[in-house]
Amino acid sequence: MEGVLVIRHRVETPVRYQEYFAEQDFEACRLNHCLYALPGPATAVQTKNTETIKNTAEAEQKCPKKGKPKFQVLLDVVQFRPEDVIIQTFEGWLLIKAQHGPRMDEHGFITRSFTRQYKLPEGIETKDLTALFCHDGILVIEIKTVAEN
Amino acid sequence: MAERTVPHAYPMSAEYEFANPSKIYDQNFGEGISPGDILTPTLYHGYYIRPRVNKQLDRGVSEVTLNHHKFQVFLDVCHFTPNEITVRTVDNLLEVTAQHPQKADRHGFISREFTRTYILPLDADPLLVKATVTHDGILSIEAPRTGKEVKAKVIDVKITCQEEPARQGGSSEEKSQS
Repeated sequence: MEGVLVIRHRVETPVRYQEYFAEQDFEACRLNHCLYALPGPATAVQTKNTETIKNTAEAEQKCPKKGKPKFQVLLDVVQFRPEDVIIQTFEGWLLIKAQHGPRMDEHGFITRSFTRQYKLPEGIETKDLTALFCHDGILVIEIKTVAEN
Repeated sequence: MAERTVPHAYPMSAEYEFANPSKIYDQNFGEGISPGDILTPTLYHGYYIRPRVNKQLDRGVSEVTLNHHKFQVFLDVCHFTPNEITVRTVDNLLEVTAQHPQKADRHGFISREFTRTYILPLDADPLLVKATVTHDGILSIEAPRTGKEVKAKVIDVKITCQEEPARQGGSSEEKSQS
């Protein structure tokens, strides 16, 4: 076990970006996952983050092909909560385990679990990865972009 | 909305129908997404969400139909083969368990497991429950209903009254102590 990856929450509330959406072309916001990140534990660098979000969004717009990370995993986890998901790396593999206990829904009770495995590119470790849980149920795991400034 | 013209056994209100829909969607899980599957964001309950291409309306559905003669359930189990699914009844609960070992799909390797529990009507005989899986991976479970009203066992519990403790003795004691 090389380590556990902590899910990163960058945005305080998604509603904050309402204006941003209004003045933007929706199509441009489609793959900017930061705009959908779930509110989470407030981080010390919150204000700095909002800056970088805007910057990266603009940058992505200008050169959508260049900023594309070489390894990215998108996973549909609508039925799970952030605390149900465990992300680990093990000997060059990325393991995503999601599990939730009996939960009531409209038709009774439901328990779900799944484990997904991806082969990581050579030399990629836990510290190089970043995970983002979006409120529309998409889990994004990608390689940290180096040198943001 | 033709279903709404059917006489309703429950108070007809929008809240009731929203809280107890006969069909629930989005029951497939652990699906991988490719960036091309994500569509332009739309506003939903005050939040922008991104619809996905792979969210087909007729897949990943759990549907419960209940009439006078039978109780029927349709559940999408397209990720599982028939021998990976177990259906059993526990009292008046209907349990569907499915588990598949690690296998490759177009996004990588995945293993899945789920347990879904439905509540059978009281007049359905658990011995007569039938389950079939269609060729396109829909599990259909049928339980005939007898239509007999299940008599509720009513037993009155006798209430015994506790006698009020004698007040005067207590108060005089307190006085003597102070």
